[in-house]
Amino acid sequence: MHQVILDRLEEHLAGAPSSREFTAHLESCHECRTEVSEMRELSSALVALRSREEVAPPLGFSARVSQRLDQQRTRSFASLFWLDPAFGKRVAFASVMTLAVLGSYLITRETEYSAGPPNPEIIMAEHAPAQDPDVMLTTLASYEP
Amino acid sequence: MDYENSQEGALVRRAQMGDESAFQEIVERYQSKVFSIIHGIIRQRNDIEDIAQQVFSKVYFSLRNFDFRSSLITWIYKITVNECFDYLRKKKVRKLVYESDLSEDEVRRVENTEPAVDRQVPVDQNLARRDYVIKLLTRVSEEERTLLMLKEVEGRSVEELAEMTGMNENTIKVKLFRARQKLVKAAQRLDRTPVAS
Repeated sequence: MHQVILDRLEEHLAGAPSSREFTAHLESCHECRTEVSEMRELSSALVALRSREEVAPPLGFSARVSQRLDQQRTRSFASLFWLDPAFGKRVAFASVMTLAVLGSYLITRETEYSAGPPNPEIIMAEHAPAQDPDVMLTTLASYEP
Repeated sequence: MDYENSQEGALVRRAQMGDESAFQEIVERYQSKVFSIIHGIIRQRNDIEDIAQQVFSKVYFSLRNFDFRSSLITWIYKITVNECFDYLRKKKVRKLVYESDLSEDEVRRVENTEPAVDRQVPVDQNLARRDYVIKLLTRVSEEERTLLMLKEVEGRSVEELAEMTGMNENTIKVKLFRARQKLVKAAQRLDRTPVAS
């Protein structure tokens, strides 16, 4: 849309008399003419949301608002101590999932440690006296020919 | 005198400090306006009071965040319009959930026996137009929706909108133009969408 139209679009849609420049441009520019026409149509459609009758608030409305506020204040105080059921369900689900993941991790580790028979060479090397000088000294001291 | 130091500004300050009588005065002052806005959008008398109560409850609990950049009525207007659209969205979801539990035959049977007000294809031209406009307004942002409604439904001028929102007139014009462009595009898409039989 061209600036000359853009500048005066709101006044035009509000029903104010259009300037000569505005009208002349609309007549010569097909693009602006189409766009303005579509906007004018929607502008008048929006009027459908205008309330056609006076709707008076029923008696005691403001008292009921106060009552509702009291209830909400009590509820928000209580919510400090009690979990919202939906949130509680999510916490329970998350706990179960965490336990399941941890459990499966521990089981996998246990299986890895106990997997396969022990290698005798490793056991001999672990118990070789050279690995532990104290054991070797004790063995020598207790040696009786 | 700026808005914050006006008589209404002082009333809002008192309400922000926890003065219940000041809040009651705000309710008394704007309840009629809130009822009219809701009635314009919803048209279902049974639900108007409930939505209005929800509006004032939101006003009460978020009044501390009101920063005087716009006037109180502009702020309440925005809350009211949002609450109405939220209500319509929830109502649509409820309807879909309800219908998804039924077979096609059951849905058809229920539709034929339900009270005419809710399901009937709107015979009244205004009602059909209102539904169409509401559909279009769900395609723009909350700010754009409020501006469009203040301009077209409430009949406010650009100058008034600038004063009410604390923005300058050019910004208002640009925002309105973009909102209108989005509406036009949404309308074109909606008109192209085949109507479900």
